[in-house]
Amino acid sequence: MSAVANRELTMNPSKKPPAKAASGRKAVITWLVRLGAIGCFVLILLYFAVMAPGFLSFYNAMNVVEQSAILGVLAFGMSAVIIGGGSDVQTGGIDLSMAAATGLCAAVFASMLNAGFPTPVAFLATLATGLVVGLLNAIAVVRLNILPLLATLATMNIVAGAELILTQNTVLPVTSDFTADLAMGTVAGVSFLAWSLIAFTFLMVAVLHFTGFGLRLYAVGGHPEAARAAGIGVGRYLTGTYLFSGACAALASVLLISRLSASTPGTGELLLSILAAALLGTVFSRRFVPTAGGTLLSTLFIGFLANGFQLLNVSSYWVNGVQGALILLVVAATSFAKPSER
Amino acid sequence: MASGNDLAIDMRGISKSFGVVKALADADLKVRRGTIHGLVGQNGAGKSTIIKVLAGMLKPDAGEIVINGQSVSRLTPANVEKLGVHFIHQDRLLVPTATVGEAIFLKNEPGFGFFVNHRSMARRAREMLSQYFDLEIPAGTLVQDLTTAQQKIVQITRALAQNASVLVLDEPTAALVKREVDSLFRVLRRLRDDGIAIIFISHYMQEIEDLCDEVTVMRNGTDVGVIVPRETGIDEIVRMMINRDVGDMFPKRSGAIGAPVLKVSNLSLSGHFEDVSLQVNAGEVVGITGLLGSGVKELIHCLFGLEKADGGNITIEDKPARFATPVSAVSQDVALVPEDRRAHGVALGLSVRENISLASLKRYSRNGFVSRSLENAAVDGFIRELSIKTPQRDALVKTLSGGNQQKVALAKWLSCQSKVYVLDEPTVAVDVGAKVEIYNLLNRLAAEGAAILFMSSDLLELIGVCDRILVIYRGELTHEFNAGEVDSDRLLSAASGARAPADRSAA
Repeated sequence: MSAVANRELTMNPSKKPPAKAASGRKAVITWLVRLGAIGCFVLILLYFAVMAPGFLSFYNAMNVVEQSAILGVLAFGMSAVIIGGGSDVQTGGIDLSMAAATGLCAAVFASMLNAGFPTPVAFLATLATGLVVGLLNAIAVVRLNILPLLATLATMNIVAGAELILTQNTVLPVTSDFTADLAMGTVAGVSFLAWSLIAFTFLMVAVLHFTGFGLRLYAVGGHPEAARAAGIGVGRYLTGTYLFSGACAALASVLLISRLSASTPGTGELLLSILAAALLGTVFSRRFVPTAGGTLLSTLFIGFLANGFQLLNVSSYWVNGVQGALILLVVAATSFAKPSER
Repeated sequence: MASGNDLAIDMRGISKSFGVVKALADADLKVRRGTIHGLVGQNGAGKSTIIKVLAGMLKPDAGEIVINGQSVSRLTPANVEKLGVHFIHQDRLLVPTATVGEAIFLKNEPGFGFFVNHRSMARRAREMLSQYFDLEIPAGTLVQDLTTAQQKIVQITRALAQNASVLVLDEPTAALVKREVDSLFRVLRRLRDDGIAIIFISHYMQEIEDLCDEVTVMRNGTDVGVIVPRETGIDEIVRMMINRDVGDMFPKRSGAIGAPVLKVSNLSLSGHFEDVSLQVNAGEVVGITGLLGSGVKELIHCLFGLEKADGGNITIEDKPARFATPVSAVSQDVALVPEDRRAHGVALGLSVRENISLASLKRYSRNGFVSRSLENAAVDGFIRELSIKTPQRDALVKTLSGGNQQKVALAKWLSCQSKVYVLDEPTVAVDVGAKVEIYNLLNRLAAEGAAILFMSSDLLELIGVCDRILVIYRGELTHEFNAGEVDSDRLLSAASGARAPADRSAA
């Protein structure tokens, strides 16, 4: 029937199995990407250390830590969202509304204080504002199943609009003892702002890396189906991360007001730095996921970057460009090094 | 012979319907403690439905379930594990970025209060792996860096860490090589001897015979018998699995077979298949089959340009062909009917007419303009031939039923009038009537001189439609049959490696 010429069919079914050679190469690529990224950080810092006078001084370093407190608190919130939602750039967890939420929270805090409410009441109202924004995100992502990228983009605009309505796009100056103490006070020679970053870092390290909760949060982000199969309530964890990022925005807004003694428009511009800090932090983990330590390091790196530009008298507009480029680099490199399923 | 107390799993009279389709009808599954129990049946026989009922994922319409002597009225995925029944899923449900210890103890982490003791978690994981399975894995190794077999073992260890009394393994060997299969079997036998009941689902008949103490055979949604494979042998199982009364589904065809068109020589893709050579002639329908994980899917994907082969070459009419992407495959006169037609096949927002003519607009064009009358005639032809149930040819595809959407996708690819057609499971999820229409269409294409490579898991269909049938087993082309000289028993045996048939039909 078939006029086919001789066919080379091997009949022994026990021929050597196809090997799995690709994993070794992947491991090398992973190392190269991480070393390259960390090497980049070190080189940039070295450049500043050599070129910028006073960059390495203790006073300057403390100043940077202090400046980084606000960004750090926000970056930890973003990290939690990325951990729980997965670090896939397109479909993973992300909260674009964080910077706008910080602006709204700051506006709420400032106007409450100016209206004469006691500080604790104003603080609770601010926290509630942050949590409401988080809840909005959680409903959109968990209940309505909207991609986080899109859902939080929408809330970002809602929240930014609300801030404009509240402040009429003006600066709301704040004079209160509480915020003044927060800005000026020191313990053991270290400012409250710096302490708040240190304390927050310890809290994050403990929760993310030493509790079952943290482990399960990573599992939810790493493989939601597997987490569900292990009996973990995936939706509840995700909701928790967005509520947490909202709370972080509220805390950051209080720190922001104490530093600026006012609620100012334009807080939304923080978004790029928050994203950069949370995403750059992933190169410090061999799993390419955000970690408490990684987020702290990249937050400080971004702080030093801005600081170094200042000391070199380079326009601060450049910082945005460099942060954007770093995000692109890190995202491209990690997606290249990530082991691909299928 | 099995007393009631002896049973770890006792499912009686389970029925489950989806709409009008009866997936399970009065099916029983009884598994004794300390045995390995095989569960076999063709696709659609009800295997996965009964397992989903046991997993609490589906609620049965009728029937009773007793687990370890305890009658369970309401099974849920949450409480079934508490009853000691654990499932080793076919797709490895492990977090790729977790360490081995984290994967084993997730949700049951050792530690104090909220806090996890990472050191003790890693130590216990290492101890369990080494004690049960002689597997030495460094504590910090990430799941994604393990081999498939190791991941399977981590999954089993996870179940053991939660005191499993029943393990359900769904196609656990599909992606494993021989050596890994052997070591997995050693593990399973050891667990059986420790008194654990194991339900083992596999298409590989040889494995069923080697491993299982008892086998439940399912067909058409019910259990048709329980067999002790060591006494009866696997031929009996295969006979019970296959429904023999096949209607006159397959249209007869006669046509001359011409010169070779598609030639594949020594094609390899590391990890999937090796040194596969085959040839399809003009006017010939060649079937190709293999079990899940045999590499046949990847082979077809290479011909589609969805995956890139490591070695070997493909020629079309003696011209070397390079299929880097599906686009380049199509441009080289190869028509592809991918399996995932919803994803690669139809544009739901376009009309039936647009979908069908999309890939072949050139054929309906005169001087660069589409001739609507030519196009309409061709589209109407397909609607008639495939009995696509659509109100009119300009109806949007998304308004059609799923089966009819599939037919539109098929028509789109078949309208290209190519020299070579590669079809990947073209009749899956299509009703019987439409299947016959698809067979007729293939016959017509072959009669017009096309070379057709037809991948299918439906063995009866292959025998009915093809001139020759090729079998891929564990990454190698091991058998070739002339369709007239083979029955589904032998084909299934070949695909599942049950025995090496002494005769290989003339090549």
